[in-house]
Amino acid sequence: MLLEGKTAVITGCLQGIGRAALEIFAENGADVFACCQREDERFTRDIANLSVTCGVSITPVYFDLLDEEAVKNGARFIQKSKKSVDILVNVAGANFDALFHMVTMEQLKRTFTINFFSQVLFTQYITRLMLKHGSGSVINISSIAALDGNPGQLSYASSKAAIIAATKTMSEELGPKGIRVNALAPGVIKTEMTDAMPDDVRSRMISRSELKRIGLPDEVAGVILYLASDLSKYVTGQVIRVDGGIG
Amino acid sequence: MTNIEKYTECFVMAFELQDDVNIEALEYQSIAQWDSAGHMVLMAMLEDCFEIMLETDDIIDFSSFEKGREIIKKYEVDL
Repeated sequence: MLLEGKTAVITGCLQGIGRAALEIFAENGADVFACCQREDERFTRDIANLSVTCGVSITPVYFDLLDEEAVKNGARFIQKSKKSVDILVNVAGANFDALFHMVTMEQLKRTFTINFFSQVLFTQYITRLMLKHGSGSVINISSIAALDGNPGQLSYASSKAAIIAATKTMSEELGPKGIRVNALAPGVIKTEMTDAMPDDVRSRMISRSELKRIGLPDEVAGVILYLASDLSKYVTGQVIRVDGGIG
Repeated sequence: MTNIEKYTECFVMAFELQDDVNIEALEYQSIAQWDSAGHMVLMAMLEDCFEIMLETDDIIDFSSFEKGREIIKKYEVDL
């Protein structure tokens, strides 16, 4: 039980990496504020069962990262709970594929609003809750596209690169206050986002990996768990590739 | 404890102030503890104490004990 007695906030919990993180955190004893874009009956039922099975508290928080006021209200809801927040995992994100010359400014701004601006805002609020007790771990989900580039992913890769820069800056500013900030750069992981990729693109990316297979959300969640726990208490400002060895 | 006492106590706790400090005269960076990092600890304590969430502009404008009182009042706290 690596997270017993800890409270975590995870965004993007409805599916994929966020959902896997929620499950592994609950299994490891963490109470979780599970943030999602919208209410979902099945999700509500699932987290109620998970909560009972693992003996932890899981509280759904609904807000849309495109709505700044809703992001603030989500943070206020968590603050009003008076729970001491130890971990923030920023998973929620959006992808919009288009070749460089086909990217509109509207699409670029929308992607940055979801993948960067709102995440910075939410992190400002949640890390202020961590400052009170002088410890915490923030894990931002970036992408190997931010490190390597990827044709057709100008807006996505750029916004995820911005998250890496923010991670390193936050790490330097918050480190002296006991808060660690790290990022993950997943490769091709089986999520709704990669399911929507053209088959040939996905196959080409998988063939570039040393493990020659697609990654699974729980394989990313395992690294998130490591960064959230005291196993990584001397690790900050890092970007860890979880990509099956794409070089 | 009154709100002004709670407000003052946040400064004492955030900056670990001794009894001989004139808290009401404090300004940002007037003491070593009230640097940018200490500032955010103070903001976090005030938010917790008064159950508010400060806007970024207000955090930037919070330049002294007195200025802070004006700002906190905006959040419907009777100071």
